[in-house]
Amino acid sequence: MKNRKNAIPWLYSLPAFLLIGIVIVFPIIYTAYISLTNMNLYHWNDFHLIGLGNYKRALLKADSGFLSAVGVTLVWTAVNMGVQMVVAYFIALGLNAEGLKLNRVYKTLLMFPWAMPAYVSILLWKVCMFNTEFGLLNKVVTALGGVKLNYLSENVPAFLACTVLNLWMALPFMIMMIDGALQSVDISLYESAMMEGAGFWQKTFHITLPCIRPIIAPSAIMTVFTTFKQFDIIYLLTKQKGSLTGATLQTIITYAHENAFVSNNYGLSSAVSILIFGIIILFSVFTNRGLREENS
Amino acid sequence: MKKRKIKHSLGLVCLNAVFIIVCFITLVPVLYAFLLSVSDGSSAFAGNLFGSAGHFTLENYKRILTEEPFLLWLKNSVVLSLGTTVLAIGFATTASYAFSRYRFKGRMNILFLLVLLNAFPQILSMFAIFRLFKSFRLLDSNVGLIIVYAGSMCIFSIWNLKGYFDTIPAEIEEASKIDGASDFQMLVRIVLPLARPAIIVTAVMVLIFVWNEYLFATTFLLSGDKYTLAGGLYQLQANDYSRSWSLFTAAAVLVSVPILIIFFCIQKYMVSGLTAGGVKG
Repeated sequence: MKNRKNAIPWLYSLPAFLLIGIVIVFPIIYTAYISLTNMNLYHWNDFHLIGLGNYKRALLKADSGFLSAVGVTLVWTAVNMGVQMVVAYFIALGLNAEGLKLNRVYKTLLMFPWAMPAYVSILLWKVCMFNTEFGLLNKVVTALGGVKLNYLSENVPAFLACTVLNLWMALPFMIMMIDGALQSVDISLYESAMMEGAGFWQKTFHITLPCIRPIIAPSAIMTVFTTFKQFDIIYLLTKQKGSLTGATLQTIITYAHENAFVSNNYGLSSAVSILIFGIIILFSVFTNRGLREENS
Repeated sequence: MKKRKIKHSLGLVCLNAVFIIVCFITLVPVLYAFLLSVSDGSSAFAGNLFGSAGHFTLENYKRILTEEPFLLWLKNSVVLSLGTTVLAIGFATTASYAFSRYRFKGRMNILFLLVLLNAFPQILSMFAIFRLFKSFRLLDSNVGLIIVYAGSMCIFSIWNLKGYFDTIPAEIEEASKIDGASDFQMLVRIVLPLARPAIIVTAVMVLIFVWNEYLFATTFLLSGDKYTLAGGLYQLQANDYSRSWSLFTAAAVLVSVPILIIFFCIQKYMVSGLTAGGVKG
């Protein structure tokens, strides 16, 4: 009887675990295994174990491109998070300004990019905004008498284009989060600060930011993860199959994808995948501890 | 006092102006795409900034519906999203119920492990799944993709639903237990109706995920008649002729509208739904 009772939760979870086993656990284990072999296009079936060679190649050989991809990913995450937090903070602050009657309308309109299917947004931006011949940006530039620019053919402009697009897509979520957090701040704190003659920046740094920090920390961390893992924007804008734009911008995720599906270097790609997973696990354990300490 | 009031309303005017500009900039890409979709191709892409207004026409919409297999793509997308939603929510509901109500060995560890597993970027497991499915002949099949999608959304659904089950008091179930209901009866008759809002929101998020997924769809579905909306749209855009670009914008509008409607209907729950579980994508 007791045994049967112990089995019930497992019975209930079995179908879900089977599914997770096939789609998530197996691929991770299999990827770890492939990372130790020399599997590539020529060794599709007759591959064999070669030890840590792929990891060495990724980490120690400068020309493998992995280390520079790590660098790009870190810069990408830092730039996007920094700009995103600051811009979202000021927009949310504006939305909460006293007497702004239309704030609900603005809020709804600003949510639009979040609601759009991500790949549709990216392709629309590619075709309608960044396109050299027909894109809106170049139409504006030529209307102002400038020369047509090619936004996606070189690394720095492509990085900026991707950043602009990422901000466009990611800001609504951050604005919503900060907006919610701002509304929870106790108004009496501002009133007493006003009595003491505190200015805008003093109020910001001594009241607003400390108050909203614990509330937005989880969503900020979540956004760091999604920014770090961002694949669609860079892939769809610059390196779609058959329409490479010329930019060789590479984050670690696009690097792993390219090695698996374009240059068919499965061993190296798998090694990079496992390294990325390692980084993410380290980061999530680290932030989890940070969050727990903050809450207690 | 009066001076301050004037200053305040002046500030509001400026703020409103800023917000109108910000909203306009935000909506420009969408508006421009919409404009292109209702103007005839030649005038839209040629010419200068103002030529883009063109003549109003629904020709692009007519052509996307008749000349391209748009309705077939739509059907495929609907089949995939519904199949995935039923499978993922069905499996996740029982599992999350078990994790919410029963206390068993390894419960906390498994919950934490699920979060870690969820952190593995999906794109990176694509190759392993590709090889696995190739040997099981699941490539180019809806069943294969449904398994992939359901598996990817399973952990998110379990966490989301578990969070809601935790808020339903166990006393309600104990009362029905005394009345002699079996465990499973109780789950179906009492718990599920109570958890309906959470199940709906989670199901909608799974639905949106499948609707918006293009990478697995374009990698795993090889034959044209299996394409989803995402795959088809991708194809339209990859053909580098401006002719198909106006078609593409029309298709993009058609694909986005249902999602926009659903999104703004459940927007209220979106924020809490995403943060309560603490896991996303």
